[in-house]
Amino acid sequence: MNISVQTRNLTRRFGRFTAVDRVTLDVYEGEIFGFLGANGAGKTTLIRMLTGLLKPTEGEAQVAGFDVWGQSEAIKRRIGYMSQRFSLYEDLTAEENLTFYGGIYGLRRDQIEQRKAILFEHVGLQPFAGQMTRDLPLGFKQRLALACALLHDPPIVFLDEPTSGVDPKARRSFWNLIYQTAQLGKTLFVTTHFMDEAEYCHRVGIMHMGRMIAVGPPGQLKRQYDKSTMQEVFIALHQSSEEAA
Amino acid sequence: MQQILYLMWKEFKQVFRTREMLSIIFVAPMIQMLVLGFAISTEVKNVSLIITDFDRSSTSREILRAFEHTDRFRIVGYESSYRGIDNAIHRWHAQMAIVIPPNFGRDLQRGLQPEVLLIVDGLDGNTAGVALGYATGILRQFGQMVLRQRMLARPDAAIPVHQVVAEDRMWYNLDLQPEQYMIPGIVVLLITIISMLLSAMSMVREKEIGTMEQLMVTPLKRYQIILGKILPFLILAFVELGIVLVVAQFIFSIRIVGSYALLAGLAFLYLFATLGLGIFISTITQTQQQAMFVSWFFLIFMILMSGFFIPIENMPPLLQKITYINPMRYFMYIMREIFQKGSTFPFLLKDLVPMTVFGLLIFTFSVLKFQKRLA
Repeated sequence: MNISVQTRNLTRRFGRFTAVDRVTLDVYEGEIFGFLGANGAGKTTLIRMLTGLLKPTEGEAQVAGFDVWGQSEAIKRRIGYMSQRFSLYEDLTAEENLTFYGGIYGLRRDQIEQRKAILFEHVGLQPFAGQMTRDLPLGFKQRLALACALLHDPPIVFLDEPTSGVDPKARRSFWNLIYQTAQLGKTLFVTTHFMDEAEYCHRVGIMHMGRMIAVGPPGQLKRQYDKSTMQEVFIALHQSSEEAA
Repeated sequence: MQQILYLMWKEFKQVFRTREMLSIIFVAPMIQMLVLGFAISTEVKNVSLIITDFDRSSTSREILRAFEHTDRFRIVGYESSYRGIDNAIHRWHAQMAIVIPPNFGRDLQRGLQPEVLLIVDGLDGNTAGVALGYATGILRQFGQMVLRQRMLARPDAAIPVHQVVAEDRMWYNLDLQPEQYMIPGIVVLLITIISMLLSAMSMVREKEIGTMEQLMVTPLKRYQIILGKILPFLILAFVELGIVLVVAQFIFSIRIVGSYALLAGLAFLYLFATLGLGIFISTITQTQQQAMFVSWFFLIFMILMSGFFIPIENMPPLLQKITYINPMRYFMYIMREIFQKGSTFPFLLKDLVPMTVFGLLIFTFSVLKFQKRLA
């Protein structure tokens, strides 16, 4: 299998605080990789390094075969990114948001129209295309943000806590959408602090205080630690690494 | 190029959908112009005057009549003691008092040199100085009149007296209308505010709602983001310039003597400085509130040090030197020159060159400071 995202001892410090500590990780093409950790565990910092928003302090990382140190602009053309805050323009309509992102990714006008139609269908927002974004329910904003991240058809998509603040029903249907997106052959890198969501991932990595303390498919991790849910695995891992520290 | 156009398209959509933005851009300047244009007046009129006449002669009445007949002064009362004068000035009832001593008329007839006392409230130094100037002018005229009368009355004893008479001609602002001087300054303020404040606010807003982060993970180049963000405000600044020029012409009947094209060209160069500052402010702030605060800090410094209210020549030498780093100072001069004197390009070079150099320096520095990264 081809590797989409590869890191070797990737580290980021802010002054004396180490937000991400020597993380080594491989994420494969077409995978839904879940990235778990409490708030402040370093998930967002790691994603920001991989998307070129932050320079690492040390270590290596390749995204889509390009190096984060020198080729971050090449990476940016091949990734989609949906931040925690669903960064949409609230005073544009749903359709205008898509048109805008299509335009700045350099798509031609006919390509933009074509992609818009496909994505509205994909995320199920067709009836709301003309609505002002600020008037959309949060669950729809989240879908729109995903559509914006997919507009230029990137092979790798980073979703940073895409379900935070959304009700359980909308979370469920958003995960269905993530599955459908993976079926298009895309690699999805999803951070979350909801342990039930971890069950939906092909593989998960668990982060604690900047360190990657476990990586593997949810089923395997549950067997390994003899627990019935990811929630329990997470708590057990947390306690043991807390004791070690 | 396409990317920049899409950024501008989005920016204009947002501006025209936000009612507050529209009022900041189109309504506020009109009100500011009208209020500032009519209110800011360096002209001193209707100085409230107290009269204390200890003489009560025909001569003293003649002097007082001269004060009554001008709109520079407004007589608000008569007092018969210094205590009364003190009280009136203290209560803001009067700004000035004229005291004619006993036996003034008689002493004058005898050829002595009696003195008239002028008491001025010096709190507002500028008004006090101007009012004092008017009053001494009136007294001087009176003195000359007395002298002439005496010479005519006793031609035999006439001593030849040479008088130098100053004739004045005002150039450029014939009627000394304060609006003539203030309006070009107000135009400078308005386009500075719109270009600097609004560009800074709009960039910081994207930081606040997180879309700036989103733009940074796109392949947009740094210069594309910057141009896409500031070109709309450059265009709006020119629209604003057009509006205020129309207002100046129709409401204040102030026509530009100089060339419109030259004015527009130089405004373009000036906007490098203000848009550059807008970018700079957006790089050092995280929220719109902070951006607003920092912008006003810069604006107040720039306005005070531009010669808009306070003539630069009146400042202490050190402060005068500091004004040389203020781009608004140069544009203030340039505007007033083009507006009133109709100065042409060669006359403006001495302000134009430093303004452009500073503008480009600020702009370049800010663009370099704007990074496509979070930290």
